[in-house]
Amino acid sequence: MASLSKRGGGGGGGEGEGILASWMAAHGREAASRAKKVVRSTGKAAWIAGTTFLVLVVPLIIEMDREQQLNDLELQQQALLGPAPLK
Amino acid sequence: MGSAASAAAPPPPPTAQPHMAAPPYGAGLAGILPPKPDGEEEGKKKEVEKVDYLNLPCPVPFEEIQREALMSLKPELFEGLRFDFTKGLNQKFSLSHSVFMGSLEVPSQSTETIKVPTSHYEFGANFIDPKLVILKWNCLQLILVGRVMTDGRLNARVKCDLTDDLTLKINAQLTHEPHYSQGMFNFDYKGTDYRAQFQIGNNAFYGANYIQSVTPNLSMGTEIFWLGHQRKSGIGFASRYNSDKMVGTLQVASTGIVALSYVQKVSEKVSLASDFMYNHMSRDVTSSFGYDYMLRQCRLRGKIDSNGVVAAYLEERLNMGVNFLLSAEIDHSKKNYKFGFGMTVGE
Repeated sequence: MASLSKRGGGGGGGEGEGILASWMAAHGREAASRAKKVVRSTGKAAWIAGTTFLVLVVPLIIEMDREQQLNDLELQQQALLGPAPLK
Repeated sequence: MGSAASAAAPPPPPTAQPHMAAPPYGAGLAGILPPKPDGEEEGKKKEVEKVDYLNLPCPVPFEEIQREALMSLKPELFEGLRFDFTKGLNQKFSLSHSVFMGSLEVPSQSTETIKVPTSHYEFGANFIDPKLVILKWNCLQLILVGRVMTDGRLNARVKCDLTDDLTLKINAQLTHEPHYSQGMFNFDYKGTDYRAQFQIGNNAFYGANYIQSVTPNLSMGTEIFWLGHQRKSGIGFASRYNSDKMVGTLQVASTGIVALSYVQKVSEKVSLASDFMYNHMSRDVTSSFGYDYMLRQCRLRGKIDSNGVVAAYLEERLNMGVNFLLSAEIDHSKKNYKFGFGMTVGE
């Protein structure tokens, strides 16, 4: 982004073009800083969302899966051995 | 069920009729007979309600009014390692050992959290006797619990059922630092459809509360307390509505706190909880939402609150009497991250 604004500044030949170039450079810099802010805040939001997901949802998925496996195993055993005498 | 239906039905028959027979006739006669004058109608309603009043269930204790919500939303989160071991010596007596290593947060005025590494060992003894006779005076249940920590703190609890309805509870926390020791006596009386409690603590603390079932699902209570040394007193009201699918509570206290909680039992294994707290003095509002999964091999609790704190607490049963704990708490706004793991053996 910095190189873009530099190029804009260097490319100007005449006086009008110089003003235009500096205007563009200023805008470019502003846009660049804005883009940086956007990138940073999206990154932060993604980080928060990701860590929240990791803490709240991932263990839940793993445990639900385990529960399902246990249920399946029991069903299989019941199908093979008939109803369990313990129950 | 029958009485509730008759209460909902349009004008019931004359009061002369015995109310036991009222429900079957109620709906049918109401259609035929013209509406009764108000006075009679009220009298009948009272009778119908009176039937309900006589067999109301006993409400939950006032202190435990939010217990379902607290169970889901306030697990014992920790940071570091903990190991708890309980060994029963015989049916009545058991010893417990627990080790904790990790960091404890020190409260400070600044926004940054200060953590101090700590470690301690706690030794405890429990005595539970379902029926005990001391000098002809029989105490129905006696529970004695004592805990000693390596830093000199001692915690003792006594719970004794003096009669079927009256229970005495004593709580004491002793430290070597002056003015931090605490003691409290509670007398709980359990009636058929109400509970009353009287509390006496050190620093001239007196408190009393009373909770009454109003309908089979709704109970309402009130409490007053007086802190002698700080010259403060307060009064609070609470109500709780519970059915087999949900529990909702409302608490208001003169200290400026309004607390609401709601727990929905989605299934036998899953419940969802939320709470809302408003403090009028400090003008802060917090609310949180959590889930509580009770599966066959584990119990998992998670919550997220409006301060940006995310927490999860997993208790995994590895074997009979061996539980593995994982605790996580992330405070995004303060960048305070707490993770802990532990084992519970015994019980």
